[in-house]
Amino acid sequence: MEENLPKVLMLGWEFPPIINGGLGVACHDLSSAMSKFADITMVVPKSSLDFKTGKVKLVGANNMDLGALPNYSLTTKMPFNLHSIPVDLDPYYTSSSTGENVSADFFNGNKNGLKAGQFDIENLYGGDVIKKVVQFSDIAAAYASTVDFDVIHAHDWMTMIAGMKIKEQTGKPLVMHIHSLEVDRSGPQSKGWVYDLEKKGMESADMLMPVSNFTAENIHQYYGISKNKMSVIHNGSVTVPSYKGKKTFKEKTVLFVGRLTRQKGPERFLDIAARVLEKDPNVRFVMAGTGDYFKSMLEQSSYRHIGNRFHMTGFLNSEKLRQLFSITDVYCMPSVSEPFGLSAVEAAQFGIPCVISKQSGVSEVLKGALTFDHWDVNKAADHILSLINDSVFREKIVADAYQNLDNITWDISAQKIMRSYSSYNFIQ
Amino acid sequence: MTSICFYFQVHQPFRIRNYSFFDIGTNNPYEDDIKNEEILHKVSDKCYLKTNQKMLELIKRHEGKFKISYSISGTAMEQFEKYRPDVLQSFIDLANTGCVEFLAETYSHSLSFVYSKKEFVRQVKKHGKMIKKYFNQEPKIFRNTELIYNNELAVFLEGMGYQGVVCEGVDRLLNGRSPNFVYKPQGADKTKLLLKNHLLSDDIAFRFSDRGWKEFPLTADKFSTWAHAVAGQGETINLFMDYETFGEHQWESTGIFNFLDHLPAQILKHPDFDFKTPSEVIASYPARDTYDAHNFISWADTERDLSAWLSNSMQHEALKQIYSLEDTVKACGNNEILKIWERLQTSDHFYYMCTKFWNDGDVHKYFSPFESPYDAYMYYMNVFSDLECKLRDMIEKIQPITVQQPNQINLEFPGDAQALGIVIGNIEHAMVEENNSKSSQLAVA
Repeated sequence: MEENLPKVLMLGWEFPPIINGGLGVACHDLSSAMSKFADITMVVPKSSLDFKTGKVKLVGANNMDLGALPNYSLTTKMPFNLHSIPVDLDPYYTSSSTGENVSADFFNGNKNGLKAGQFDIENLYGGDVIKKVVQFSDIAAAYASTVDFDVIHAHDWMTMIAGMKIKEQTGKPLVMHIHSLEVDRSGPQSKGWVYDLEKKGMESADMLMPVSNFTAENIHQYYGISKNKMSVIHNGSVTVPSYKGKKTFKEKTVLFVGRLTRQKGPERFLDIAARVLEKDPNVRFVMAGTGDYFKSMLEQSSYRHIGNRFHMTGFLNSEKLRQLFSITDVYCMPSVSEPFGLSAVEAAQFGIPCVISKQSGVSEVLKGALTFDHWDVNKAADHILSLINDSVFREKIVADAYQNLDNITWDISAQKIMRSYSSYNFIQ
Repeated sequence: MTSICFYFQVHQPFRIRNYSFFDIGTNNPYEDDIKNEEILHKVSDKCYLKTNQKMLELIKRHEGKFKISYSISGTAMEQFEKYRPDVLQSFIDLANTGCVEFLAETYSHSLSFVYSKKEFVRQVKKHGKMIKKYFNQEPKIFRNTELIYNNELAVFLEGMGYQGVVCEGVDRLLNGRSPNFVYKPQGADKTKLLLKNHLLSDDIAFRFSDRGWKEFPLTADKFSTWAHAVAGQGETINLFMDYETFGEHQWESTGIFNFLDHLPAQILKHPDFDFKTPSEVIASYPARDTYDAHNFISWADTERDLSAWLSNSMQHEALKQIYSLEDTVKACGNNEILKIWERLQTSDHFYYMCTKFWNDGDVHKYFSPFESPYDAYMYYMNVFSDLECKLRDMIEKIQPITVQQPNQINLEFPGDAQALGIVIGNIEHAMVEENNSKSSQLAVA
């Protein structure tokens, strides 16, 4: 490590190649970019030993010798006022989630097993996730006592307990990077232990870094936290290899990509599809991804008799997803509440015009995109019809968005984070 | 006299593969040839060949007193031709005994009667030709896909010249009456009905190996006692079932072949019992009452109605869409396309999309090649979309969009040589296509 660089202890949950959604990718890309300006140690529950990520020091709890950690002890009671019940929770539903149940060994039964052995985590989500979160916090805190750092930088609620513990233990400043909130995932009325944990965590943090003004506003509105300790850090984007694919059919293609959950507005996409198809039947709507709305989407599209124009692909790997982007004419992101929405940036990189909801962080930086309030089906449909039927308009929208891309890079995000650290005197 | 009338259904669909969105517009095949061949071999070895051999043996042993009937779908016959000619030959051998009757049905085991009478007639005729070709019989008795039936079907078939129809003896329509007589359909004069005795049929087809059934194990002797109890109270006991009952649904280890081996002799022990084919039953016994099926009935699931194929929006959409192509398919005059469309009508595709659960869902799941009814629908609609694209391309070739004069086009695109080249190229292409299609139409005419 270079002695003169500030040292950042990052706490993450997902990390490539073990990812469920955008969080893992964002953590990877952001930490890589920051490693130019700081020594980054990234602690995650599960890492793959053969995965190398530049200058970032990646530490997986699953690959640690827990017995060798001097201050490691197993917490047997829940922190704060949280009570645990054995329930299968999976905030990031995917159809591949197996609903794994944490065995007795995982926490209570085999007292010596964990201490001497390794942190054994099969799935990051599902099962008794709060026990995993608490367990991780113990391990991360024990690990933190063995290393030197200037700032603790925690990503989302899964790492908040760990962050608070390490702050208490070391007195180092705690930064919380907010990629997603319970109110995004479950709606503004959501209250529950994840919400409570988020509120407590964000209150204890010295600084918050929401990924958009939209999220900053939500933190303020729904968690009652002052914007004074927030510094908005928009996500960046890695340039993906884009290409124009050869479409094997004549219709225009409108694409939705994402987990099929309430938050992403899959039903709104269907409404928009039905409205567009009333005016122009020569359009195919494609929904890539899976989630708890999957079955409902098939049922509803057939009920509306657009089964031959509304296609579901299920889960796609990144190669297939790029293939889909390469033949897409319009990208549509009707999210009800989207902290950022990186997929819209990827679409723009492919030269695809984007029609995105105003309730998204990405609309703050991808200014060339056409926007609509997520409930305004008619407006979204009008945007799509204009893009499909007016090639001059379409080219202008594509060109505008393309220009924005220069300002959506992880380097810019990383520099802004370093500046924020300095302005709060977290680092010299 | 009381007759035992056996009819066995032989059917295999052309299952489609996991046809993804990315397959639309490519020339990738719709059907899962590997799976279809694999299943056909499996069922041929476990059921068709063995059972046919047993039936032939029984017919010979009882010197013509043991008689049976089959309905074999066109899609099953095509698969025998393609993969197992030995099975086809064994059916021909059975036909040659003179003790086996072949019934009429829709060629692709379709729901065409519900959606298009025109297509229904075409498929029934095509199936009849096939039966004539292989078995040298002209079917007189009709059975519709999965015994789907209503009064209208009987009247319609009477118009087509059929003497009888086989259908399900549904308790709510029999209303206390016995299924063991010949009935007359409501509204038809000459056609007669043979009603499935679902209790005795399902004792063999479903309950034979059920260890939780109080009558387990079922022996030929016990079954014959039940049949003989009908003496004096019924004229025909119609035992209708899937042929795959023997060896496939009921494995050989359950003793089903042994049961079959002893059954005819046990039945014939009673002097007032014999075996008759459906045509013989209809010729021998008068209709004793009217069977009024105003709404569609079938032999499927506990509901005995259309709900196995038509109970959710996905099934309705898929069926509506596939039949919406009829006029276009027939207008394009391409036999390959017609064949594809015909196979996509096979009722199994819609059966796989059924979301009813409990006991019936188990059966649907057992037969389905897909992980879920949703997958079945998703892949079917992708196939449908591809067929729709292919059809449109063909129709556009037959009826090109009104061709503009090339010099008019010139005026519209001044200066842009590249665009001009492409446009003129397209028009020339379209004109050539038009001439080709005109000449091909002439050739057809």
